[in-house]
Amino acid sequence: MSTALAGGRWIRADLRARKGQATLTVLAVAGIVAALITAVTLLEDGTNPWRNLSAQTDGAHVWLYTKDSPQVAVGEIDGVTDTAGPYRSAPVTVAQDGKKEPASLRAMSAARPLVAHPVVAEGRWLDSTQLDGVVVERSFASSLRLRVGAPFTIIALSGERHTLYVRGIADSAEQGFYPEWTPGLAWVLPTMLERIEPMLGRSEWVTGLRLADPDSAQLVSQRVVVMLEDQLQRVYTWREVRAAMELDNRLLGTLLALFGVVGLVAAALALANAAGGRVLGQLRDLATLKSLGFTGGQVALLLLVEHGALGLLGVGIGTLAGWGVAVAFLGVSVPPMPMLAIVAGTALVVLAAVGVPAWRGGRTPPIPDAPVAPPRGHLSRMARLALLVRLPPALVLGTRDAFTRRVPAFLTVFGLAVPMMMITIGLGVWSTLDGFLSHPEQVGQHASLYVKPGKLDPAEARRVAVEDPDVRAVYPGTDVNALAPGEARSVRVRALGTTGEPYPFPVVEGRMYGRPGEAVAGQGLLDLLGLKIGDRVRLTVGGSPLIVRIVGRTVEPDLDGEVLSVGLDSLAAKDSVPPEHYALALRPGADPGEVRARLLAESAESLEVQRVVNPADRLAVIRVVIVALIVVLALIGLANLLTASALGLRDHALDLAVLKAMGLTPRQVMATLVTGTGLLVVLGVAAGTAAGVSMVTGLIDLQGHTSGVGAGIGRAPSALTLTLAVLAAVGAALTVALIPARRAARAQVPVTAR
Amino acid sequence: MNPVVKTVSLVKIYSGGAVPVPAVRGVDLQVEPGEFVAIMGPSGSGKSTLVHMLGGLDARTSGEIWLDDQRVDTLSESAWALLRRKKIGFMFQFFNLVANMTVADNVELPALLAGVSPKDARERREHLLGALNLSERADAAPGQLSGGEQQRVALARALANQPSVLLTDEPTGNLDSRNTRDVLRLLSDVHKEGQTIIMVTHDARVASLADRLVSLFDGEIVDDGRIARRRTGTAGAVIDLR
Ligand SMILES: Nc1ncnc2c1ncn2[C@@H]1O[C@H](COP(=O)(O)OP(=O)(O)OP(=O)(O)O)[C@@H](O)[C@H]1O
Ligand SMILES: [Mg+2]
Repeated sequence: MSTALAGGRWIRADLRARKGQATLTVLAVAGIVAALITAVTLLEDGTNPWRNLSAQTDGAHVWLYTKDSPQVAVGEIDGVTDTAGPYRSAPVTVAQDGKKEPASLRAMSAARPLVAHPVVAEGRWLDSTQLDGVVVERSFASSLRLRVGAPFTIIALSGERHTLYVRGIADSAEQGFYPEWTPGLAWVLPTMLERIEPMLGRSEWVTGLRLADPDSAQLVSQRVVVMLEDQLQRVYTWREVRAAMELDNRLLGTLLALFGVVGLVAAALALANAAGGRVLGQLRDLATLKSLGFTGGQVALLLLVEHGALGLLGVGIGTLAGWGVAVAFLGVSVPPMPMLAIVAGTALVVLAAVGVPAWRGGRTPPIPDAPVAPPRGHLSRMARLALLVRLPPALVLGTRDAFTRRVPAFLTVFGLAVPMMMITIGLGVWSTLDGFLSHPEQVGQHASLYVKPGKLDPAEARRVAVEDPDVRAVYPGTDVNALAPGEARSVRVRALGTTGEPYPFPVVEGRMYGRPGEAVAGQGLLDLLGLKIGDRVRLTVGGSPLIVRIVGRTVEPDLDGEVLSVGLDSLAAKDSVPPEHYALALRPGADPGEVRARLLAESAESLEVQRVVNPADRLAVIRVVIVALIVVLALIGLANLLTASALGLRDHALDLAVLKAMGLTPRQVMATLVTGTGLLVVLGVAAGTAAGVSMVTGLIDLQGHTSGVGAGIGRAPSALTLTLAVLAAVGAALTVALIPARRAARAQVPVTAR
Repeated sequence: MNPVVKTVSLVKIYSGGAVPVPAVRGVDLQVEPGEFVAIMGPSGSGKSTLVHMLGGLDARTSGEIWLDDQRVDTLSESAWALLRRKKIGFMFQFFNLVANMTVADNVELPALLAGVSPKDARERREHLLGALNLSERADAAPGQLSGGEQQRVALARALANQPSVLLTDEPTGNLDSRNTRDVLRLLSDVHKEGQTIIMVTHDARVASLADRLVSLFDGEIVDDGRIARRRTGTAGAVIDLR
């Protein structure tokens, strides 16, 4: 108790004496935590939009479609807390810009329901005063390029045309995004639906069930099947909706994990440096405390409490800020589990990072006037050389300073190198993302459209595709499932291209398949079956054996990399003729959306044309986070520099007085200090950049390897980017180093200490 | 009466470097309550080492240390720390004060550590600073004080818990004659009130203020004797510093 009182006094006094530095520490940690939380939220929202949409709309977990309004009380099923609907729903076709898209028109009243209520993103909700108003689901609207106020022409099953006007655009968690999930969804008032589709037999009824426990959705849907029997058209659960919305891409996980590591290391560094520098600067005071009767453990505890509290305060503020940013500005809810993990992780890192300096402080010998060890080393060879060629004295002295004061020198170099390394890694993630966008073929997305013949004859479908002016190449393909030897589950065999004209898979090891019977595989498949390049593997496709030799490894972002790719002519004819689909590679600069529209028009809507989603498309937001993280890292680097300078200057005060007495002007003294710091700054920044560059591709590839994508996606930042980053870092560091140097050069330094 | 401090064949050998340095080689010393002992000797003779060992700042190599009839050389580092809170006051040549804390906080710290309530600690501090003529500097930072003022604050702090023994190492080492006289007058005042003091010094005139002079040479006591006192006037007048 008494120690707590006395210790409290000391902590308060210490914090008061270094308000600025303490604030900087708190802000750095808070910045990192906020950046991490925002990043996780955005990534989670980008890859798993369902969670957030469901939260916003109080979505239902089970959706069932019936011929008539359900006659039995589905709301009474155990575990169902609320029901949405039943709503009448009619199939229509939307005619827009010469295209025709399937849609389902849903009757909903002007008063939105409590459960599964669409959330208006633009415009307004339906209103009984505007009968011809329609609210369109957002992905459907953006696919049709609809804006609020635009006309919305529909063709009923009877062939009758109606023109409605878009009153609003809304989000819903009821079904997946258009066009991956069809038909598109639009809401009208019940009276309008009756006018468009008076025949009850041509419409169906949709009911949503909200459950107390989402995990019981499977059970509930089985009950529904039993209860409704042949009344039921179909039923699906939130899991299917989520899967349809989810971006199944391991690359995101890869980047996210890398981000987390960067953030945690940065937080640890910020604290270890601040606490470590402070403890080193305070050894005398700690010794005094001990001579007064503090035990070593108490001193360590004191330091742990002081610096740990700052760190935890930062974690707290950062959590609130990240949460606030996500909810207030981005309008998305924060996923609870990752947030807890971040908070717990950073808190642990904070305590560990502070623990070492605290332990060091606790071991200070209690003799207050222990002499400070004089700087080791003497005029280095470099400095002597400088003297020989008659460099200004400030440069010589600065050069000497840089390397004779080991502890501040180490803190400066290390404190700058690590953030710089992290910044380089951040830039690497950026350029990897750029790589996805500008070279989708390097992650296996050479083709940007997939065409299924649908009602057309495959040869005809191929002709339509080949004749399009923007289509550069057409690769026939078929996906089949194959049983692997000794595995209870099947793997995907993707036959695409032929050995004569192979699909340009991104082969990063070995070579491309060259004749029938050769295959390339993703890392995930190699790991799953314990294969390496050169091995032969025997699979079973629909009863017939498929024996191939693996000659190369591809970058494979799909299905955890558990994909085997072969030429179509490696498959048995029964599986490969006719091809299931065609992959279309477009000319550079062609807009896949336009080509898709043209192909649909050309084939009179009988083709099924799918666009490939580039993983980087939904990830534009990650760049904001990278920028934020770089800013925080830069701040950390500068804070580290200030700590090291303060420590260096404290040991330096007497020397400065001597230098001045020797006749150096304040400007020369300042130049001496800046030269000393500058050399270390350049050293630290260069070392950090070099380490970052050598690690970034390796790190991303390592992540890629463990996630099945396989090595080969990582990109180092370009030389220009790196040069600019290094120049900016050195410039900022020198500017910051100038502040204490100026103050020290101006100060009236007493000749005796104290 | 039992001695406040007693050492038996106290030895300290620094063995950190290439060759072991015997700094203290078998010191037997007894200090009675209320005594004022000056320790003198040439530089490197082991004076500081001895005083540090008496306060537990440095561990002894062999021998015994007794404090208030308690054997203390066997104590752990933390037990020493707890002991220091109540029984030992320290005052060094430099670096006595916690740089970040105000003068008031510096003086209150030992009292708080010893478990005194904040209110009592404050009263005690006001009393001590008042006695040392430093009341108006209570809120200053140590860096803003002169060397003499800093030493007076250090003394106030060392006395805050009425320790059994006050250990001082060159308390006037870097002070001018006026400040030296002030600090010495204070020491002599607290001595008159019964405070036991052990003081290391280089200066024979400073040492003459003590009751007893112990001379160290090469880590051994070579002379130990009472100083004949001229009982005229006050301490300040007795020692004539220039
Ligand atoms: N930490 C240490 N490590 C090694 N040797 C030491 C250490 N501290 C002191 N010594 C040595 O022990 C001997 C006694 O040192 P001490 O500081 O006790 O002398 P002193 O009498 O106080 O001298 P001064 O009058 O100069 O203060 C010296 O030879 C010194 O070099
Ligand atoms: Mg000494």
